[in-house]
Amino acid sequence: MSEQIDDLIKSHYAAGFVTDIESDTLPPGLNEDVIRFISAKKNEPEWMLEWRLKAYHAWLEMVEPHWAHVSYPDIDFNAMSYFSAPKRDEDRPQSLDEVDPKLRETYDKLGIPLHEQEMLAGVAVDAVFDSVSVGTTFRKKLYEAGVIFCSISEALQDYPELVRQHLGTVVPQKDNYYAALNSAVFSDGSFVYIPKGVKCPMELSTYFRINEAKTGQFERTLIVADEGSEVSYLEGCTAPMRDENQLHAAVVELVALDNAKIKYSTVQNWYPGDEEGKGGIYNFVTKRGLAHTNAHISWTQVETGSAITMKYPSCILKGDNSIGEFYSVALSSNFQQADTGTKMIHLGKNTRSTIISKGIAAGHGSNTYRGLVRMNPGATGARNYTRCDSLLIGDQCGAHTFPYIESKNPTAIIEHEASTSTVSDEQLFLCLQRGISEEKAVSMIVNGFCKEVFRELPMEFAVEAGKLLEVSLEGAVG
Amino acid sequence: MSNFIDEALQRLPTETPDWLSEQRRRGRSSWKSSTMPTRKTEDWKYTRLRVLEEGAYLGRAERQDSSSPALTALRDQVKIPELDARMLVFVNGFYSPELSSPTAMDAMEVVHFSEADETQVETIRAHLGTAADRDKYMFTALSDSWLDDGVFVHVTQNSKVTTPLHIVWLTVPQREAFSLSQRLLVVMDAGSEATVVEHFASDGAQQNCFTNGVTELVLGANARLCHYRLHLEEEHALHIGGVHARLDRDARLNSFHLGLGSTLKRLDVVVRHEGNGAHCDLNGIYLPRHSQHIDYHTCIEHARPHCTTNEVFRGVISDNARAVFNGRIHIHPDAQKTVAQLSNKNLLTSNRAEVDTKPELEIYADDVKCTHGATVAQLDDYALYYLCSRGIAREHAQVMLSTGFINELINNLQHSTLGEYLKPVLSDMFVQQVTQRERAE
Repeated sequence: MSEQIDDLIKSHYAAGFVTDIESDTLPPGLNEDVIRFISAKKNEPEWMLEWRLKAYHAWLEMVEPHWAHVSYPDIDFNAMSYFSAPKRDEDRPQSLDEVDPKLRETYDKLGIPLHEQEMLAGVAVDAVFDSVSVGTTFRKKLYEAGVIFCSISEALQDYPELVRQHLGTVVPQKDNYYAALNSAVFSDGSFVYIPKGVKCPMELSTYFRINEAKTGQFERTLIVADEGSEVSYLEGCTAPMRDENQLHAAVVELVALDNAKIKYSTVQNWYPGDEEGKGGIYNFVTKRGLAHTNAHISWTQVETGSAITMKYPSCILKGDNSIGEFYSVALSSNFQQADTGTKMIHLGKNTRSTIISKGIAAGHGSNTYRGLVRMNPGATGARNYTRCDSLLIGDQCGAHTFPYIESKNPTAIIEHEASTSTVSDEQLFLCLQRGISEEKAVSMIVNGFCKEVFRELPMEFAVEAGKLLEVSLEGAVG
Repeated sequence: MSNFIDEALQRLPTETPDWLSEQRRRGRSSWKSSTMPTRKTEDWKYTRLRVLEEGAYLGRAERQDSSSPALTALRDQVKIPELDARMLVFVNGFYSPELSSPTAMDAMEVVHFSEADETQVETIRAHLGTAADRDKYMFTALSDSWLDDGVFVHVTQNSKVTTPLHIVWLTVPQREAFSLSQRLLVVMDAGSEATVVEHFASDGAQQNCFTNGVTELVLGANARLCHYRLHLEEEHALHIGGVHARLDRDARLNSFHLGLGSTLKRLDVVVRHEGNGAHCDLNGIYLPRHSQHIDYHTCIEHARPHCTTNEVFRGVISDNARAVFNGRIHIHPDAQKTVAQLSNKNLLTSNRAEVDTKPELEIYADDVKCTHGATVAQLDDYALYYLCSRGIAREHAQVMLSTGFINELINNLQHSTLGEYLKPVLSDMFVQQVTQRERAE
């Protein structure tokens, strides 16, 4: 039995392959010239360059954070290259037909057929291959609704004022070490603007893929939902197999103005490293949303990949009656380490937040929930409910919970619950004696464990998420 | 601002037994290498030591006249009627035979380190410092570096001591601010049973004492210890302390903590399960008011399988006060079949009160059941309304509900006589608060 289980745990990373395309890559190293190069390459306005340089100088002053419950060798930031774009930068494909066939092949292997999604799922895809957008679909349809959905480089050309108004307002350049780095060198990302009162006619989605060896990937996403608007954004990613650790330090900023609603979903399946813990992606992401009066921000994430994850999608509930939500499933098997959670900062009256976190640790994995719930003096009548559960599979893994709860307002109510347990023998026995195989039983139990989160995911993602967990975990109990 | 680390080192202990010098030397070197915590020091994130640095608490404690009527009255006040305990009273760190009650017990040896005989010295040396980790807890290092005396309690094998030991630490103000080192070592041999009450109190005057207290509890196989640590000092006392326990196989520790008073109080409660099947009940209540600051950091280390922990802490925070609670449960690899529960509930009764709580789980074994829960809220409006609608004045209803909130723990005390002693003390405090609040309004 245990041999079968071992085989299953060791099942190979299905999305691990490398596309052989020459890249226009900058030599490794980071200095002001690199930032000027990136900015010039993207033909950015002068203020943007200054903004980047300011971030760079702030970054130089900062020290790498080491408080998280993860350990990894030091990162040499000068051994990395900070810009990588697919070749033929000048004549970027205008439509999908013009996309490099090799690229499209990559997507096909990943099961992200752009054209099929166009027709079947009705999802507009802004696909990022390495750092530059190569194809954007449904632009027109969205344009008619008044929705802007494009790469952030394009937005800087076409809507510089809009970007300038919001960029860095939620995650300032000096926010933290990796956010500062990202602000200095971000290569591309997505920009979404939903005008007043518009409900985005479709789910927006971006697939990221890291492809160039030794290339740090720094995306910047900015989503602005104007008053009374509504949008659901999907982010999903896979990466090819590499032995070198790759750093990924993205920044996502959400701005939900009065009465707006933003739902941000992520399925993350980057290369987690091999069975010995060699290789894998470092995922150090800063995600934060700012909710104005009556606004609603919801984060949903399924984290199964990456060797090291440090990620805390947060909500600043600034406006009265605003709502923040965080639903998360984080899985770490083999030698993966995840330190993830959320921050809910309640500033306005009657603000509400819900945190549901499900952590699963298997093999030698380490899974940490780290969250902050803060009730400021102005948060009269605010409410928080937190539930974080951990499931341990195997006696070599670790599951940890570090919730920070700070309250300065007596009328605010905070509830926090956490539990840690294993798939019990009784549960398994019950399934087995009903003729369900052990693998199937574990899969069922784990899926049930995560159900609260999965049902928050959009349909397309819920399927992918369930499948991901099954691949990574099925039969991991013995 | 003064440099507390250096200044504290300058304070050399008075005449001390030689055999303590090694421990003191290690303490000094560990203290010397420590730095004052800042906001970025995780264990001290919410607690600042500014008051300690500014206060110049470096004077020495002086022996007080124990026969003074004021002290006798104070002793009578802290004496717990019907507990029928053997009472040891210390005034500003000095043992006072006049105020203590002499009943000696065969099975329980109680001596000062300085008066210990050879076999006792051997036992002390074998256990002192084994539970409290000076490298991890900087104020344990300070206690070690100031180590000149302490109280040693030894319960011999298989003896059941029914008379509780009531150790009272009284402080009264001196002309200049001073600091005090309190040290207690309890060694329970296999199969023994005992009760130890640590009781901190002070007279009503403005206090200028900083107490650094370290208590170590070493429980042998199947030993049972009922331990209380009651902090009933007045407002301006300053206390930083630690209770460090080691539990051998099937040992049971029942530890209760009550925190009142003090501008700054910080207590690290550490329990290590070092033998299979050990069990620990850890309960506590903290009631900071005015501009007090009370910080309880608890840490339960499950190093062996089949151990259980049940921890409940509750707090009522009023006025400008601030409470900090950090409850850590650490399950080591191989500590299978662990069952551990932690609950922390807080009531905020004022707009300016603050609570920062952090229940932590760190788990490296898979076959365990661990849960924790934390809540922060104010008194339930419906409950208040219910009582008011039955003709109970609002203020009285508030007192009833606050009292009810903590009574659950008081009622469950192993020694109900202790509960009877505490109840009026606590409800008086709530009444006082309510009337003060009314007057303010």
